[in-house]
Amino acid sequence: MTIASGTVREAAIAAPPPAPAATSPARPRKRRQLTRNRWGYAYVAPFFLVFAAFSLYPFMYTAWVSLHETSLSNINGGTWVGLDNYRNLLQSEFFWNAARNTLTIGILATVPQLCMALGLAHLLNYKLRGRTFFRTVMLMPYATSIAAATLVFSQLFGREYGLINTMLEAVGLQAIDWEAGTVSSQVAIAVIVTWRWTGYNALIYLAAMQSIPGELYEAAEIDGASKWKQFLHVTIPSLRPTILFTIVVSTIGAVQLFGEPLLFAGNGTTSGGSSGQYQTLGLLMYQQGWSNFHIGQAATTAWAMFMIILVIVGVNAVIGRLRARADR
Amino acid sequence: MATVSFQQASRIYPKSERPAVDSLDLQIADGEFLVLVGPSGCGKSTSLRMLAGLEEVDSGSIVIGDRDVTDSPPKERDIAMVFQNYALYPHMTVEENMGFALKLAGISKDERATRVREAAKILDLSDYLSRRPKALSGGQRQRVAMGRAIVRNPQVFLMDEPLSNLDAKLRVQTRTQIAALQRRLGTTTVYVTHDQVEAMTMGDRVAVLKDGVLQQCDTPGVLYDRPANVFVAGFIGSPAMNLVTGDAVDGGVQVGSAVLPVPRDQLTRAAASNGKVTVGFRPEAVRLTGPGEGLPVRVNVVEQLGSDAFLYTSLADAPDDVLHSADLVVRTEPRTPVASGQQLWLGTDHGALHVFDAQTQQRVD
Ligand SMILES: Nc1ncnc2c1ncn2[C@@H]1O[C@H](COP(=O)(O)OP(=O)(O)O)[C@@H](O)[C@H]1O
Ligand SMILES: [Mg+2]
Repeated sequence: MTIASGTVREAAIAAPPPAPAATSPARPRKRRQLTRNRWGYAYVAPFFLVFAAFSLYPFMYTAWVSLHETSLSNINGGTWVGLDNYRNLLQSEFFWNAARNTLTIGILATVPQLCMALGLAHLLNYKLRGRTFFRTVMLMPYATSIAAATLVFSQLFGREYGLINTMLEAVGLQAIDWEAGTVSSQVAIAVIVTWRWTGYNALIYLAAMQSIPGELYEAAEIDGASKWKQFLHVTIPSLRPTILFTIVVSTIGAVQLFGEPLLFAGNGTTSGGSSGQYQTLGLLMYQQGWSNFHIGQAATTAWAMFMIILVIVGVNAVIGRLRARADR
Repeated sequence: MATVSFQQASRIYPKSERPAVDSLDLQIADGEFLVLVGPSGCGKSTSLRMLAGLEEVDSGSIVIGDRDVTDSPPKERDIAMVFQNYALYPHMTVEENMGFALKLAGISKDERATRVREAAKILDLSDYLSRRPKALSGGQRQRVAMGRAIVRNPQVFLMDEPLSNLDAKLRVQTRTQIAALQRRLGTTTVYVTHDQVEAMTMGDRVAVLKDGVLQQCDTPGVLYDRPANVFVAGFIGSPAMNLVTGDAVDGGVQVGSAVLPVPRDQLTRAAASNGKVTVGFRPEAVRLTGPGEGLPVRVNVVEQLGSDAFLYTSLADAPDDVLHSADLVVRTEPRTPVASGQQLWLGTDHGALHVFDAQTQQRVD
């Protein structure tokens, strides 16, 4: 609002006084703004062209495919089935299983990940020796390929000779068949995701922390706040928008989780374990389209994932808006 | 309520060879309003932060009341501080900001509310208690920062240039309010400013710092009438004192072709170091005299303020090397018929000359 009205006022100052508009005054102003801003439009145009070609079109095409009964080899020639695929999906126990797995793995991965990232960022915000080194190290998992990382982790979590089981046995605990159990496999996958993304989120938090004025901490210190209370009452509230942002990004990532569960067993099967105990929505979609050759059904699952993300982002936006309003 | 004392307190920042505060010795009485003043970078904030416990003390000690607090953390010092940028917690309301310290101290909600409301009433903030700092004007934020300090009822208030973010008019208003509030509460206060007018109008006593070294600490009147050295003489007063340096000759100090009369005894002691003497006189201690009598000057600018007028002049016959400061400022009655470019002769009032040793810069009486 303010920006728009500012522009109009500026335009009125910058442009020579417009000839008195005999007809509707609104129309020429609109057109004048368009021409005034044409370079702006020209500069953002490439993004929208690329967006249209690689996002919007596949998007609509997926929607269209999801309304057909067809396979990948015959993608343009399937039979129209309307919303049948959607009905099937909602009645499919595989879908609900995958949805539940996605949710639990998502929570297991996202919550500890963001908490640890916050703690790490707080520590790195102190004037440590070798700060740059730690920051680089933290970003390394992010730079590692999922395949390589998952391979290493699946060996760590191996049943017979895995390092983790060896250690468990060394302290007198029982070895765990990580891959076979529902909880254990999901925990293991959550560990891989957490390992990969904690540093990335920590750096985002760190950047936000460094923009908090030091005077606030000094004021809190004089007010008698311990380091922990300072973290609670100064750091966290200042980071609130950043935290919301990382929650959204991590949640989107969690809904789309694919590589880690695909490679966890070491053989790249899409079933997500012998009883689908760690099959995520991403895996299910791949299984439907590429193992079972129902690309229409896979497109439906893809759309369902997109809707879930939309809902989550929407809820977050509403929370953010409400908080911002409360802050005013 | 407490006394405060700096005892040979020094602070040397890491990687700097010169101390930011050098052996500061300062005794502040219970209930006193002491102003630390000096040019930017002279160590005022550092001194204050040492007292607050936000800055280490490298040598010497700091005592509040009868407790040596040199190594205590801020929260054990029972002090409250007002920061230059206020440092209000942006996500808390005015009420929460003011009550935060009380909350941390475990004071009950009711008591907290009472104390915050009381302070808010004094500071005229009652209508804004549920607002956040973002929604306040600069002056209101400043008052919230003050409020946050006074609800705690601490032993000492510390204020670091609390008025520097306000516009000129509000600054003048607020400085009277702060001074009045301090007198009413009777809390020992250390106040930092770079503005000597603020220092002179607010302080019971004023401590002048330069390069981390205390130059003089006394009441505003004494600082004005008997500055201890050339720096204080030039720093206190607006417009500044006129300072000229010349050779000691028979009967006074040679400035250009004229001689400013200085009593023999005083002159001898002032010239003891290297034969040169710095003489100072305030703009209001100058009279216009007849042609050929006193210092000949040329008027550069005439500044009419309504209540008085200032003539900015330079010595008409000045050899460059004689002058400490090329310009001499003269206060005259308003609407004196003087035009720029005009030549005038100046005389100084009897007994109004400040005499300094040009070498040591120290005052000689
Ligand atoms: N954190 C710091 N590290 C190093 N030097 C500093 C630091 N803070 C201040 N200084 C130096 O100490 C001197 C005094 O600073 P300060 O007390 O802030 O001055 P003032 O408040 O009088 O303007 C300055 O020369 C400044 O550059
Ligand atoms: Mg300062």
